[in-house]
Amino acid sequence: MPPQLGRLRAVLHPLLLLALTPLTSACAEDDPAQGIDPQAGLPFWAWQDASVEIRLIQRLPDQTRGFFIARGFSSESADRIARSCVFQSIQRNRGVGAAAPVVDLDLTQWQVTPLDDPKGSPRPLALKEAWDEEWEKAQESQAARIAFRWSLFPTRQTFRGGDYNWGMISFGLPPGTRFDLTLRWTLDGEPQEAILRGVSCASELVETDETAPD
Amino acid sequence: MRHLKRPTTPWPLAVTFMALLLSGPTHAGTASGDQSLTPIPERPAAPEFDLKDPEDRPQRLADYRGKAVILNFWATWCPPCREEMPSMQRAHEAVSGDGIALVAINVGEDADTIEQFLTNYPVEFPLPMDLDSRVVQSYPVKGLPTTFVIDPEGRLAYVATGGREWDDPKLLNQVRALKD
Repeated sequence: MPPQLGRLRAVLHPLLLLALTPLTSACAEDDPAQGIDPQAGLPFWAWQDASVEIRLIQRLPDQTRGFFIARGFSSESADRIARSCVFQSIQRNRGVGAAAPVVDLDLTQWQVTPLDDPKGSPRPLALKEAWDEEWEKAQESQAARIAFRWSLFPTRQTFRGGDYNWGMISFGLPPGTRFDLTLRWTLDGEPQEAILRGVSCASELVETDETAPD
Repeated sequence: MRHLKRPTTPWPLAVTFMALLLSGPTHAGTASGDQSLTPIPERPAAPEFDLKDPEDRPQRLADYRGKAVILNFWATWCPPCREEMPSMQRAHEAVSGDGIALVAINVGEDADTIEQFLTNYPVEFPLPMDLDSRVVQSYPVKGLPTTFVIDPEGRLAYVATGGREWDDPKLLNQVRALKD
């Protein structure tokens, strides 16, 4: 097999496996789902019920690095955020109109539990407020910090019927880490919780056929 | 034993990769189905702004008093912002004769960036530049895009968080009703 095709296969193989795995459907009600996001071509994990949809799509570290360098970040700072397990997130109130239950999301209540560390204990996310303090110390430009502030998902947000928002979420874990994610929100003030299991941060390393055994 | 190493990207992958690299956050999430605007209780006064557009022309909210204003906050790197722009242009064409103005405030980007964006997304409504993001922070905005509908008295009447298909008659009729 030509080396280029081998590498292509190495990259696409895990994605294909994920796509073909008979997991719960992406549209399953009251159930987590995972698969390949058709727009991004990358793995996603999602929760959906009648009122709320929470979808997390993996971002490649180089994709995030390139995005923030293009917004004016230094390569050092862009690398720091790129290597902190960034996902694209879309969160939506699935109701319509004023009568729909109100969804309140508060990312300070979400927790990650690393799976491959036997001592891994639940921990909070790396939120935009903490990052912004770092960018101030690093003397990143105003334009870069504004873009960062608006491209990360808000820490707290209220969603009324039909509202949605999108933005990046940084989980503060090294590339390739697998973890369980505890999602928490309120529906008309009532606490709700769901767990996305086996979420995986994108890796910077790609397994290739050149070094693999036959 | 298998080894891991940094990939040497073959060219077909490089094309895909560059497309990803140049893209912003992916999967915009589209406005779909039954759309709505959320009424804002008690209609507080809309914060004033005094900005410049990419051609250095002044853009002030006060200049629109007496009109209903669809006031959008956006950025070029924001996929759902880009996605709703064509429908905003169609909405602008549909309502500009009805005493309704459409204004889209760009958050944090310079004139060159916006001019470049306009080559792919030509729009005719005003695009004031909120270079230091002070204006967007004076409004109750959590994410981009967010759009407010301001009544002719300069009060915040509705908000839409996330993108919409703005030429939807259902939405535009809600705005038109503010003029009655």
